[in-house]
Amino acid sequence: MLDITISRGTTVALPKTEFDLLLADLRENGYQTVGPRVQDESIVYTDIQTLADLPRGVQTEQDAGRFRLVQGASNNYFDFIPGADSWKKFLFPPRVELFTVRKGKGWEYAEAEAATPRYALIGVRGCELAAIEIQDKIFIRPDFYDPTYRLRREGLFIIAVNCLHPAGTCFCASMGTGPKAQGSYDLCLTELDDVFLVEIGSELGRSLLAKRKYDLPSAFVQNIANQRLSRAAQEMGRVLDTSDLPGLLTEPENLEAAHWDEVAKRCLSCGNCTQVCPTCFCWDATDSVNLNATRASRTRVWDSCFNPAYSHVFGGNTRPTIRARYRQWLTHKFGAWKEQFGTLGCTGCGRCITWCPAKIDHVAEIAALRKEVNP
Amino acid sequence: MANPEVIAELKKIPWFGTLSPEHLEKLAEITTLRAVRAGETLFKEGDKQDYVYIVLEGRVALEIFVPHRGKVRIYTCEQHDVFGWSSVTPLVRQRTAGATAVLNGRLACMDAEKLRQICDEDRDLGYLVMRRLANVVASRLMVTRLQLIDMFAHPEEKNA
Amino acid sequence: MTSLLPQSAPPTAGHPGKLIQPDWAEIVRITPETEGISTFWLRFIDPQVRERYRFQPGQFNMLYLPGYGEAAISMSSDPEDEERLVGHTVRFVGTVTKNIGRLKVGDVIGVRGPFGTSWPMKQIEGRDLVLACGGIGLPPLRPAIYHIIRNREKYGKVTLLYGARTPKDLMYPEEHEEWKSHDISMEISVDRGDENWDGRVGVVPMWFYNFRIDPRNTAVLTCGPEIMIRFVIYEGLARRIPAERIFVSLERNMKCGQGSCGHCQIGPYFICKDGPVFPFSVLQRYVNVEEY
Repeated sequence: MLDITISRGTTVALPKTEFDLLLADLRENGYQTVGPRVQDESIVYTDIQTLADLPRGVQTEQDAGRFRLVQGASNNYFDFIPGADSWKKFLFPPRVELFTVRKGKGWEYAEAEAATPRYALIGVRGCELAAIEIQDKIFIRPDFYDPTYRLRREGLFIIAVNCLHPAGTCFCASMGTGPKAQGSYDLCLTELDDVFLVEIGSELGRSLLAKRKYDLPSAFVQNIANQRLSRAAQEMGRVLDTSDLPGLLTEPENLEAAHWDEVAKRCLSCGNCTQVCPTCFCWDATDSVNLNATRASRTRVWDSCFNPAYSHVFGGNTRPTIRARYRQWLTHKFGAWKEQFGTLGCTGCGRCITWCPAKIDHVAEIAALRKEVNP
Repeated sequence: MANPEVIAELKKIPWFGTLSPEHLEKLAEITTLRAVRAGETLFKEGDKQDYVYIVLEGRVALEIFVPHRGKVRIYTCEQHDVFGWSSVTPLVRQRTAGATAVLNGRLACMDAEKLRQICDEDRDLGYLVMRRLANVVASRLMVTRLQLIDMFAHPEEKNA
Repeated sequence: MTSLLPQSAPPTAGHPGKLIQPDWAEIVRITPETEGISTFWLRFIDPQVRERYRFQPGQFNMLYLPGYGEAAISMSSDPEDEERLVGHTVRFVGTVTKNIGRLKVGDVIGVRGPFGTSWPMKQIEGRDLVLACGGIGLPPLRPAIYHIIRNREKYGKVTLLYGARTPKDLMYPEEHEEWKSHDISMEISVDRGDENWDGRVGVVPMWFYNFRIDPRNTAVLTCGPEIMIRFVIYEGLARRIPAERIFVSLERNMKCGQGSCGHCQIGPYFICKDGPVFPFSVLQRYVNVEEY
């Protein structure tokens, strides 16, 4: 084994047999290691202890309204494409207590109970990394930050993975977020048969690897990895033309297009797309109180613009129809988001298409809208 | 020959300012001025009296009598507002609302039958008068629509 | 366990607590206004908060009732109030506000704020002002009225158009004479009058039919039911008041007050953060898109 100096940008070869040491090092440093597991006939992000917990040899078939696990020919651990679950739940939990108050003379705050968890995310795809960066823009701003999100985000360790087998609903290449992981990660894996190529993306990542010795990958191995990555970029299941976004979806006359009525006939307003979306950030707060009204909690929960109560103001709903709600979602995600946060709200992960029970394909809907307004 | 005082009053009304002296003269000839006291009834629902009025000063309320509710004030005419306009339309039968002066004031009263007559004889003038009345009706319709929406109602009442 | 890795940054010091956790305030006075509407005068319990807290006319607070939740309520009091009381005129219509309606003097309530944009009092100095409001739209304008009175010489002709359903629904009647005494002309109209009402019966936008304005130097501030606002805007624009000088205050479902929960969006704007007060020029594109 060579004695090499590793630094940011260095790629080393990590035999798969040594991956568990990496996980152990992370836990040693106080991280909870979370990653993909096969669960409920899908892929779920949850606690993992060893590489063996990962979906070995599992591939996925995805299409509008369809998700299936299939056993592939290889023994790779990252040949699947993620399921409905996203990393969002670790940073922006679906349900989190904001505070609890006790009745004394007036009201006072009860001590927060739980310490903020520190997560090491294992296997974050390019589209998912981009999603985290989009949510950063929403929850950590110069004028405001969300304490729950920020504390969790600052404690995060990210092991990204380059995506080699895009699924039928993927269009990250159109959104410029993948299949190669871009942006900030601590380490980034490219999976080959027996080794992971590990690229060091941060000082944090370097200091984790510095504990052990690694080989540099041979040029041959590196070449194979590069070839597989560029092939993956050609294998996108879907292509979204972004050239006229966000304008196509923000022009007021296009908001009255007939196509919205057409989609509204199919959309169930179930909100699945917003719940699986790794960037959707809307939330609601709910209140609870004990029986003698001496202790009350305020809890934040995920909300959805498809929820009728979402746009309720006293006396009525500003978006009473499915047409209005679907239009709000799509024109926000691929339109207004840009003006709000400097980026579109979509990373091309395809979850909203895969998990739509009505098989609504938003890529196709945008194309249909474009065809209607620019015949 | 029209009363110069009437001409002077009519000229103060913005819309009349755009009329030719000849047309103004014709209108002034059929117009009389009238002072009203607060509380004075100008006409009642069902009356057949035939005048169209312009408020020069004061405030006049239009009212409809509703059984069990009494007189409901549905609109007030402010300075330069026209009321009694339906007497100029071709199918005049009777007043559809009552009119009561709310404040002391002065009115210009035009004989509606003569107005219809001079409008028929002088179609140019007739066009201008009808155009003006169309504006009055349109604004009255807008107010009625907004009142109909009952925008200040308590939301629960609206939903009930 | 010793960590090899740099520790993550500690929770940032000086985090403004208002963003998530309300400050506590005592109700020191309750003024019944009309049926189902009262003004709650609040004093922050923490003297530091009391000292620090300032708001601009048109901004709002989130009022928090433990166990029930929060409601966005515009401040209706004088921003320069000497006693440092903050007034909120509340209409009892939802779960939270109905229960606020059951509170008594001495009870404690949570307050987050102030949030949102304000009426552009500085920008409109030197202009003739038309303040057009209806119903519960008057309270958010009252701080602007106090500001105008305090700085009367900085504004030209000031007209307050105020519409209500019936004469008994008019709010703050005891203050109207005071406002008029500062050369604010008040034009009140009601939807339905009775025989004792000698004021106007009609709707707020009608005022534009009866009065002359100088469009080159007039600014309009409007707040009230969205339908009324729309017609005030139409009349203002028809008289050539530029859209940049017509300011509207909008209402939507709000949860967070800081552009994070997503509920109050209209187009690219979060009403809680980019509004509630907008120049109409930025909303113009969306005003006739139904259900947007």
